[in-house]
Amino acid sequence: MNPYALFLGCTTPTQVIQYELSSRWVCSQLGIELVDTDDFVCCGINQINLSQEAGLLLAAMNLAHAERKGLDILTLCAACTGALAEAIEKLKDQETRDQVNGKLKTIGLEYTGSAQVKHISRVLYEDVGVDRIKSEVKRDLSRLQVAPHYGCHYLKPESAFEGFDDPDNPKTLHQLISATGAIPVQYETLSLCCGGKSFPISKEPAWSLIQKKLDNLMHKKIDALVVQCQTCYLMFADQQKVLNEQLGEQDHVPVLLFPQLLGLALGANPNNDLGLDMNGISLNLLLSKAGIKHTI
Amino acid sequence: MNQNKKSKEPIQVSHLDIKFRSEVTSHKEASTLNACFSCGTCTAGCPISEVFPEYSPKKLAKMVKLGMKHTVLSSRFIWYCTTCHNCEQHCPQNVKFFNILNVLKNMAAKEGYAPSPWVEQTQQIMKTGLIFPQNEESAEKRKALSLPALESNGAQAKKLIALTGIDKIKAGSPK
Repeated sequence: MNPYALFLGCTTPTQVIQYELSSRWVCSQLGIELVDTDDFVCCGINQINLSQEAGLLLAAMNLAHAERKGLDILTLCAACTGALAEAIEKLKDQETRDQVNGKLKTIGLEYTGSAQVKHISRVLYEDVGVDRIKSEVKRDLSRLQVAPHYGCHYLKPESAFEGFDDPDNPKTLHQLISATGAIPVQYETLSLCCGGKSFPISKEPAWSLIQKKLDNLMHKKIDALVVQCQTCYLMFADQQKVLNEQLGEQDHVPVLLFPQLLGLALGANPNNDLGLDMNGISLNLLLSKAGIKHTI
Repeated sequence: MNQNKKSKEPIQVSHLDIKFRSEVTSHKEASTLNACFSCGTCTAGCPISEVFPEYSPKKLAKMVKLGMKHTVLSSRFIWYCTTCHNCEQHCPQNVKFFNILNVLKNMAAKEGYAPSPWVEQTQQIMKTGLIFPQNEESAEKRKALSLPALESNGAQAKKLIALTGIDKIKAGSPK
């Protein structure tokens, strides 16, 4: 397997550290070599709001740094994945590429188009494969029923992902969850967005979105919602707690990051290797249902 | 976009900017607006429109075509998009509304209507290269977990994006 430059993004390494911890653990367990670098900066996705050019330049700068190291990029955040993949698509246009390279030159960089970007789940799906994952499973998670949440930028814009998955009927995360032994549950609001990108501007519409999904999931009696993006995580876990406090609700839908679920299947220590104790909504019920003797 | 229920006066042609549409579509990213036939598939699939009907991609596209420049650019609703890309995923005319909206937001920002969160994040990138740089708490946590200290190439990012003038954009208050 080819090594990857690890693109941490801004939010994961400061606010959802358990995502980084569990991702590093599963990658090392499955032989995915991750290279750390000091050269990456913000992917630029939010800067597109003020200046599409500035957003594209930040993405291109990151891609150019990966190219210089001869590496493809592995992302954790769905939005970083989307921003970088969209930039690759835009930079196929020669006029756009020339304009961007004119500016990258001032910091001694050039974008040539050789670096690819893949989300960690895509690397697990394509480079490792579901069969190999199944063969590495050490714990039986077959009693767990979990709901997948893909994250919009993991799938869209479709043109930026070369037909990797079908945004209208996605399957890769379902298959990855099945590979861990857990049961992926079908539910009506599967494709509903977490609202994370509108949340800094206006909280209410985003809260309405997560409430809709959580209401749906409450009726499904699932053991956890499984996400693969730290922004989706913050919305469904941290903002769920905020909403429940406002409403005086006691019940919570536990939220797991996919590498945490995979790590449990691969035999990891829940806290030391996967940071389950850092998830704000308790996962003790899930662990006992899976027969894992461990208190978070 | 006006929430005032009483405001149902006819749209005054004299208040419209007929060049607005071509001003928007002259941007390469927004040229697909010319293919829009206002079917509303974008709004039908928009999660924000569903919970917050004041925000509507179809309505915004129509307002641009009519030339309602000031109303569109000063509106807070253009910033409500959650970037899910559903609008363009299902558009029968392959209109890239997400890109059109970004052109509108970029124009609005230049006119002084940029929401402060995006301006503050840009300032943070100019300082550190990241939106959320390492703080004392996260540095300690990372150290305790044996994770590498967080570094980024903030100086390069600053130099690069300053070339676009994004650092000159001031926060304003969309209506």
